Amino acid sequence: MKKYIFRLSDWLIIILILSSCTKVIDIDLNSVSPQLVIEGNISDLPGPYFVRLSKTVNFNKTNLFPPLSGAIVKISDNTGNSEILTETSHGLYSASLIQGTPGRTYELTVISEEKVYKAISTMPVAVNIDTLTIQEFCNGIQGASTGNIIAKYINVQFYDPPEINNYYRFIQIFNGVPQDDIFLIDDQLHNGQTISNLLAHTRNSFQPEDTVTVLLQRFDKGVYEYFRTLSQLRSAELSSAPSNPLSNFSNGALGYFSAYSVRSKTIVIP
Amino acid sequence: MITCKFFLTALAVVVLGLNVSAQSKYTINGYVKDIKTGEELIGANVIIREIPATGAGTNTYGFYSVTIPEGNYTITAQYIGYEPKSVTVVLKQNTKQDFTLAESATQLGEVIIAAEKKDGNISKTQMGIEKIDVKEIRNIPVLMGEKDVLKMIQLRPGVKSTGEGNSGFYVRGGSSDQNLILLDEATVYNASHLLGFFSVFNSDALKDVTLYKGGQPSEYGGRLSSVLDIRMKEGNDKKYGLEGGIGLMATRLTIEGPIVKEKGSFTISGRRTYADLFLFFTKDSSINQNKLYFYDLNIKANYRINDKNRIFLSGYFGKDVFGMKNVFGFDWGNTTGTLRWNHLFSEKMFSNTSLIFSNYNYNINIEPAGAKVKIISRIQDYNIKQDFQYYINSKNKLKFGLNSIYHRIIPGAFTNETDSSISKLNLKNNHDWENAAYISYEFKPTTLFSLECGIRLSSFTVIGPGDFYTYNKTGETTDTASYSSDEFVKTYFNIEPRINANYIIDEKSSLKISYAKNTQNLHLLSNFTSGNPTDLWIPNSNNVKPEIANQISFGYFRNFQDDNFEFSTEIYYKHLQNQIEYKDGAKQFNIFGNGNELIFNENVESQLLFGRGRAYGIEFSLRKKSGRFNGWAGYTLAKTEKKIAGINNGEYFPAKQDRTHDISLVGIYELSKKWTISATWVYYTGNAVTFPSGKYQVAGQIVYYYTERNGYRMPDYHRLDIGATWQRKKTEKFESNWSFSLYNAYGRKNAFSITFREDPDDPSKTQAVQTTLFRWIPSFTYNFKF
Repeated sequence: MKKYIFRLSDWLIIILILSSCTKVIDIDLNSVSPQLVIEGNISDLPGPYFVRLSKTVNFNKTNLFPPLSGAIVKISDNTGNSEILTETSHGLYSASLIQGTPGRTYELTVISEEKVYKAISTMPVAVNIDTLTIQEFCNGIQGASTGNIIAKYINVQFYDPPEINNYYRFIQIFNGVPQDDIFLIDDQLHNGQTISNLLAHTRNSFQPEDTVTVLLQRFDKGVYEYFRTLSQLRSAELSSAPSNPLSNFSNGALGYFSAYSVRSKTIVIP
Repeated sequence: MITCKFFLTALAVVVLGLNVSAQSKYTINGYVKDIKTGEELIGANVIIREIPATGAGTNTYGFYSVTIPEGNYTITAQYIGYEPKSVTVVLKQNTKQDFTLAESATQLGEVIIAAEKKDGNISKTQMGIEKIDVKEIRNIPVLMGEKDVLKMIQLRPGVKSTGEGNSGFYVRGGSSDQNLILLDEATVYNASHLLGFFSVFNSDALKDVTLYKGGQPSEYGGRLSSVLDIRMKEGNDKKYGLEGGIGLMATRLTIEGPIVKEKGSFTISGRRTYADLFLFFTKDSSINQNKLYFYDLNIKANYRINDKNRIFLSGYFGKDVFGMKNVFGFDWGNTTGTLRWNHLFSEKMFSNTSLIFSNYNYNINIEPAGAKVKIISRIQDYNIKQDFQYYINSKNKLKFGLNSIYHRIIPGAFTNETDSSISKLNLKNNHDWENAAYISYEFKPTTLFSLECGIRLSSFTVIGPGDFYTYNKTGETTDTASYSSDEFVKTYFNIEPRINANYIIDEKSSLKISYAKNTQNLHLLSNFTSGNPTDLWIPNSNNVKPEIANQISFGYFRNFQDDNFEFSTEIYYKHLQNQIEYKDGAKQFNIFGNGNELIFNENVESQLLFGRGRAYGIEFSLRKKSGRFNGWAGYTLAKTEKKIAGINNGEYFPAKQDRTHDISLVGIYELSKKWTISATWVYYTGNAVTFPSGKYQVAGQIVYYYTERNGYRMPDYHRLDIGATWQRKKTEKFESNWSFSLYNAYGRKNAFSITFREDPDDPSKTQAVQTTLFRWIPSFTYNFKF
């Protein structure tokens, strides 16, 4: 299937550009008591694995997010393994004994300021990337010969296992720098088939000789829902009711705990 | 049950009334028309001088009927802006009496006395009603000079614009999909062009515009907040005419004339914009080959077969087209068609039968080299409607009828001619059958009291084929029920009582009360701040129940200075059930997904939450109807809240359209015979919106932290528009004028949207950015009439 890139906002902008203007405004937003943010990962690669604890700040403050020290952080699995993580730097806790194994269910427990936060995530079996190909676009259209906007994107192909409810995320690493675009796909429309997905990132186009590594993460529905709602929030400029991403933590903590399996493939841009 | 009993009693009164009136009483009936064009006048009053407080208003086809005892009478017909006309009748048998009224030629500064009825606002039983004078529209300044009935309506108390320059409207705290918009009885599902900046109603083609904000008559149903009943012009049945205008945005042209003189007429009215021409000004070749326009075409014809039978055929065709050359096409529009048959069963019994078709659809075509991808979405109604009006005598009138609508909804169908493996992207089509029966009784026992009470029975049946899902709290499917074609899945019944009562205190003032229950079976899912052509209409289902509104309102009406000033205040309370909101983080129905992924969510119903709502407020209106200076001032103080488990901890929270204060001032001043100037000023509290309060870092990104839905307010909005009309020649044969307008005359930077982003100069900071759309938009239009 040929690909196209088009967003509602594109044509909205064309119309509004004729008469609109923007300005930065001072806005009086409520201050909020700092909330706990947990970002925890465990994968099928060898450890150590990290859990980062931090707090929210008010919107008008500088982007310095206070790390949370002195919390009790524990990862355990459903076969009886468990480890209390050690704080290696402010707010960063590391697990070096426990080993991520596909098929196991992991629980992350954080105890801080007399509150207990828990999240559960099951690690699926890894899926390999079959091929990476480069696709060129002019004016958002693949293969168009006219127009002045030329972009190159990577297309990933992999084979979805026969069971249903598989969830994936792609991460691109450009010359060693991981990109923060969130590319997600599930197998709702392609169960058991070859999935072909274009990574239409928002960054400038690739240059020849660039090295790009694509990671294919597979995780459970809870993690997928977190990233889906996180990415929806990022593109929600015109949405009338944005809300916090759906976290898999109990007790109102922000963030996620992901037990994922991962495979990668690298390509050099010709 | 109380209402049922009440109704039976009312019926008994009617039947008894019939027996009493059997002695030597005769009926006068006929039509009230414009003398020049032959257009029937809707809502004209026919008064019998010898029997005070007796009379009749003409119905939507200009027909009236009164039954009074034998005798000699002077009968007068009156209508707003027309000279009244009286005839003497010796009533010895049933008599047909038509009236032809001439528009009053007002001298400068002269007071127009022939209002539809000078004290009409006092003596009418209905309240919560706004009648828009289509002729008055040309003097009101608007965006880009495109005169628009919907923008005129927004200037009335209790009615609010959905946003900057937008033709969408909220009535008494209802959302914009809770307005039933009818064009010649056909539902218009999306009444806006070009992202809502213009409405689909070309005012040259319109004859009558009435908005019911509360106490909706029982012949209407299907929406919670309001009914906007728009009737198209019939066309001049005496001579041919050509009328039009050339403006910055669009050109309009209307042709009308007789089919058979004084027996039938037609009108064809068209409008097309040339917004796409602006695109040629940009040098960017990726923009200037784009298409961007809309058009409207209104067609109507009628023929009077004989005194008892008349047929009407009307249609509307409108479309917005947006496209990028060879790349992308997006069009959307409404089509409606109405075939009507008026029949007089007797002097007292008027009947109308309507066959109505209505369609809204959008098409998206994407044609990347070699491939062809198509998305279509459509909502269609096939509608049959039978209405009877029975004029029992001068004190009693009965209306009853039936209505049956078959709805067919294609929420989204995706075809790819080059890759058929994606065909399962089609969403399930919906088939629904909506039925209603109503009866309404109007009773005027004394000159001081009048009552209109009715009841509407409505049903809505969800029809197969298809799979219907049951969901658990987290939105996962727990059960699937499959239905075959034409199988009934679920039927909802509702009983909707409607009551209006008027007590006339004295000839200058009256008190009114009204109660109405309304239900809504089709619901619009919209998550954008402004209306969007791809918003999805969903019908009731096993999960979605009919929305219900119960509204009660009280009004006080007072006229001053010989009815020259009209003051009114209305207070209302509305209780809403089965209101719909998206869940936090809902997987929304969105044709344009993130990046290149199309999101077609089959389980959109699993992403919804249901709860209740309440809306209450008070409206004030002061209007000066005549003289060189006329206009009005309106003020609304209101609150609209929702209470939905799963949002804001199940507490009441402000609905998006909640606006505390709303002021509109409209002034029109006739400087001289050639120049008329006008100004409108509006002020309203900003909408309730969701803004972030804090922020944090996750996955290497800054993420905003939200504490509650609709917890913030947009800045207050205010705007002054000024306009002038320059009347050039005005003869019997040719008439022309120029109208000028300046939108947002003092250039207020009103917020269209406020977004949040990383500071481009300092990535360690975040900032709020306000987008302003229109400031100082001048326009002019040249209008002519042959």
